[in-house]
Amino acid sequence: MLLDYDRLGWLRVALVGFTAAVAAFLLLPVVFIVLLSFGSSRWLAFPPPGWTLKWYQQLLDDPTWIDAALTSARIAAMAAILAVVIGLFASFSLVRGEFRGRQVLRGLLLTPMVLPVVVFAIAIYAFFLRIGLAGTTVGFVIAHTILALPFAIIPITAALEGFDKSIEDAAIVCGASPLQARLRITLPSIRIGIFSAAIFSFLASWDEVVVAIFMASPTLQTLPVKIWGSLRADLSPVVAAASSLLVGLTLCLMIVTALLRRKLSR
Amino acid sequence: MTRSFLSIRAVRKTFGAFVAVHDVTIDVPKGEFLTFLGPSGSGKSTTLYAIAGFQDPSSGDVLLEDRSLLSVPSHKRNIGMVFQRYTLFPHLSVAENVAFPLRVRRRPDAEVKRKVADMLALVRLENFADRHPGALSGGQQQRVALARALAYDPPILLMDEPLSALDKKLRQEIQAEIRRIHRETGVTILYVTHDQEEALHLSDRIALFREGRIEQIGTGEDLYLRPASEFVAGFIGNSNFLAAEHLETAGGAATIRLADGSIVKGVKTTQAFDRGQKARLMVRPEAFRLTPGPASAELAVEFIDAAFFGDRRRVVMRTAGGEELDVRPTSDAAEPHGPDSGRRIFFDPAVAFLFPA
Repeated sequence: MLLDYDRLGWLRVALVGFTAAVAAFLLLPVVFIVLLSFGSSRWLAFPPPGWTLKWYQQLLDDPTWIDAALTSARIAAMAAILAVVIGLFASFSLVRGEFRGRQVLRGLLLTPMVLPVVVFAIAIYAFFLRIGLAGTTVGFVIAHTILALPFAIIPITAALEGFDKSIEDAAIVCGASPLQARLRITLPSIRIGIFSAAIFSFLASWDEVVVAIFMASPTLQTLPVKIWGSLRADLSPVVAAASSLLVGLTLCLMIVTALLRRKLSR
Repeated sequence: MTRSFLSIRAVRKTFGAFVAVHDVTIDVPKGEFLTFLGPSGSGKSTTLYAIAGFQDPSSGDVLLEDRSLLSVPSHKRNIGMVFQRYTLFPHLSVAENVAFPLRVRRRPDAEVKRKVADMLALVRLENFADRHPGALSGGQQQRVALARALAYDPPILLMDEPLSALDKKLRQEIQAEIRRIHRETGVTILYVTHDQEEALHLSDRIALFREGRIEQIGTGEDLYLRPASEFVAGFIGNSNFLAAEHLETAGGAATIRLADGSIVKGVKTTQAFDRGQKARLMVRPEAFRLTPGPASAELAVEFIDAAFFGDRRRVVMRTAGGEELDVRPTSDAAEPHGPDSGRRIFFDPAVAFLFPA
């Protein structure tokens, strides 16, 4: 191959340098946030004059932060479950179905991913205001489910496309009804895809801020909304601590995902 | 009405304007090993799928012990099937795979356990019970699939080119296994393949498919020694075809003129020919002799090439008319076989066949 890594010669050094620069550009702000959350300066000065855990102390002592985190987790979990269930049905019809407009339907289901989030947010906010769902948990979950749906559909359709339908046919010849065959054979066989779908959908909701700002009410705030609000009200290192926890939890989920995928696909 | 075990009655399958299977009728006695042989697209798999219930025939019927199967959904037909592709359940162990059909039938645990052990012993994979399919070779996977398909004692076992993904040596090994399992279980097997050697090796009878119809059905010997058409003769075994002109037929023996003008008498034929009708003479490669014998017809030939295959030699000759001949005398025959082996070869007209051109 023309661009074989082993044959790049001195260009390899340039390539490594460039990649490192991009990675640093993307990751350093996150690293700084984490460092600042342990800094003793009230004004987020860097380098910090000393190290402290007091911002975390304040964070955990403040019930509004805990509330926001629990709300986030609750909404993300519900959105993830709904997105996976709907995603499963959608994927079966997209992969197995033979009907006109299948590709159109696929495109439609994936639009939340390409549509500017703020446009979607305004549209659904206006709609929910009219039907009385604005500021409710139900409305919040519906909005996030729609946003999470592409993240569920993509891994599930990929897994289903990689699954040989003959295996399901074999289960049916063995005496399983078509429903039994799907529940006992097909679903377990594509569990990696389903699992990825669940994690990605959860994360899609967990760190979503734009739609969340529109859906939120004074009594219903997710963690990203609370962070956003605090940033505007008073720039306290508590925000850095909250952000660090958010990053940490996301990182944990990604690591768990990677480990489980490796274990499942052994 | 004869009470045959499995009866395929005028099964027809169309896809739009395309007719995949034309009114195929076969009666299968209990315990028979019947092979559907034919080139791809000849309708053999479609017929098998109609029996399995994956494709509903457009017309016709499939009867098992005089009861129609067509209104029974696939999962209630109680038929065993081994597929072309590997279809073991990837998340279950070998033992759980074999147990699956028994579990969906809610058989008691003790019975499931005993049956799984029996089946794994039958396919000689007792030591692989706890493995997952991913850790098995292709041949082992198909043997597990066989064990799974037989675990619930189905009256019929369908096999859809189960060995086509395996290499040649392994194929022969598993063919021997399948023969043994057929012998030991007595199950009725319908087997689909495009490999004529496999069909000859395994089957009691072979149904040769061509373009959605059965060209001929019979034992391997029937098809090889008494082919009903040029297609059968060409598909089963190796054949040489020589252009000929029919002169006359008396008592099933035809007299013909070959392209080089020589007259051959006493050629076997089952079909009626007109005087002067163009025809094709089929001679098996092993029917040729390099030395004259009793009742020999002869051909003027030119030596092209020779190769040694252990049990046989293979000699390529060319007739005066430019037709290449595949000639396979046995290698221990004290017959000359080199370029100096003369200019003539011989065959017995009684083992040659005449077909319409």
